[in-house]
Amino acid sequence: MKYRILTAALCVSATAGTAQDVRITTFKTDSTFTLNDQTFTVTRNQDTEAMLSGEYALTSRACPPHCLQPLVVADGVATLAELEVLTFLEGHVTGGTGLLIDARSPADYATGSIPGSVNVPFPTLAPDNRYRNDILRALGAVDKGEDSLDFTQAMALSLYSGGPWSDDAPTAIESLLAAGYPAEKLFYFRGGIQAWAHAGLTIHQSQNPG
Amino acid sequence: MIRTTVALFLFAIVICGLIVFRPFTEGEETTADRLGTPIDTDVEVTRSVTADLATLKEAASAPLTTNAVTGLVEAPRRIDVARPNTDDTRLSDMTNNVLAELGFAGVQAVTTNSQAQRQSTSDILAGIEAATGHRSVLEESETLEAIVIAALRAGETDERIDTIVNEAAAAGTVAVPEILVTSDGRVDTHVLLNNIVTQAQIASGGAAPAIPDVSPDNTEGMEVRFVQRATDEVQARFYTVQSGDSLGAISIKFFGSIEHYDAIFEANKGLLSSPDRIRVGQRLVIPQLDA
Repeated sequence: MKYRILTAALCVSATAGTAQDVRITTFKTDSTFTLNDQTFTVTRNQDTEAMLSGEYALTSRACPPHCLQPLVVADGVATLAELEVLTFLEGHVTGGTGLLIDARSPADYATGSIPGSVNVPFPTLAPDNRYRNDILRALGAVDKGEDSLDFTQAMALSLYSGGPWSDDAPTAIESLLAAGYPAEKLFYFRGGIQAWAHAGLTIHQSQNPG
Repeated sequence: MIRTTVALFLFAIVICGLIVFRPFTEGEETTADRLGTPIDTDVEVTRSVTADLATLKEAASAPLTTNAVTGLVEAPRRIDVARPNTDDTRLSDMTNNVLAELGFAGVQAVTTNSQAQRQSTSDILAGIEAATGHRSVLEESETLEAIVIAALRAGETDERIDTIVNEAAAAGTVAVPEILVTSDGRVDTHVLLNNIVTQAQIASGGAAPAIPDVSPDNTEGMEVRFVQRATDEVQARFYTVQSGDSLGAISIKFFGSIEHYDAIFEANKGLLSSPDRIRVGQRLVIPQLDA
């Protein structure tokens, strides 16, 4: 009797484990992409009872400073949702022509981030960072004469931050545009890490740069 | 009836006369000179007036430009002096590192804000590098610290150090602490060197510099006013910025060391947008320090 219950329980759990009840889309169970020969796989949490907790479950952060952001943050900068971010990762990032940028502070980034993202905190893109051009060069900008950069070879960038209530990514986009980064190379994932977590997508824990 | 009419008529004439001739106003004061530069009407007669005269003379001698299209003379504009690049590095941190680098006993190097900025940028570059596989190098830019250390090691004179630092600042290759920027847009190396000596003395167990005894008699541009309050009389001190002054220099002048620049800046926030934006002729309040 005892064995029969155990076997039944095992069968149930095995079928639940293999069936993939929670897909990304009907025809897509996971998303795989590579970043500099490192492979990442994003799936959704298979626990259909899962709930958000902690930081990602907060609804009412004080505004200011955490104010709701518009759908379009700047002319020519397209806004993305989760599926477009995955497409960006599979296409641009895997192909080495784009980067997913996390514009939050290093401390926030360390608590969890989108797999394959790179942390570039928004203050480092502000004009008062004396080393900003070094960052822009690392993103593919090329020196063009006195104090100006050529962005034709620069990478496409998708930026995100904490959520629709965070202006970290919009501020970073504003700084990049002011520095001369072409708007058509910039993308804004408005939902940010909170929307990502809300869809149960894989979150990378403490991926520290370097 | 006639008497009343005549009285009213005379009264009206007197009123009209008063309006037209204004016998009781003490000479209309001009509020602008012939160039249209506003003159401060409540200027206190202090020794600083000489400096004001000098600037007025300078303004008067500025060449007038004529607009080619309209043929009208254009009003001279206030030319903002070029200022050295600044960063938020604290002078005391920088001095500390200079002393540490020169091998001063008991002085440990600290991380300045500029170094922190550099460090965070190099972390980011490492992150991008890990993602893209392309090497990226952080451009080396000279630091004021390194320039001063090299100059002191080479045994340069104060004048020479002043020249070296100001040349680097003018070329824009180095950023300096805000409180070293003078009213004429130079780097106050006097304060820089003075502070190195002061911090070295303190590090070797010497006493902190005493608060100097300043009075309008020995300090150009200083004024003292006595304000009567309910219970006591309070002394209010003012200082008119002279040519070549930096906020650090004013702090040394009144408090003996640079560390009280913040109190001066806070007391004059309405006038100064940032500590490096002081101008000749600005009248600053010198706060009382609570002992």
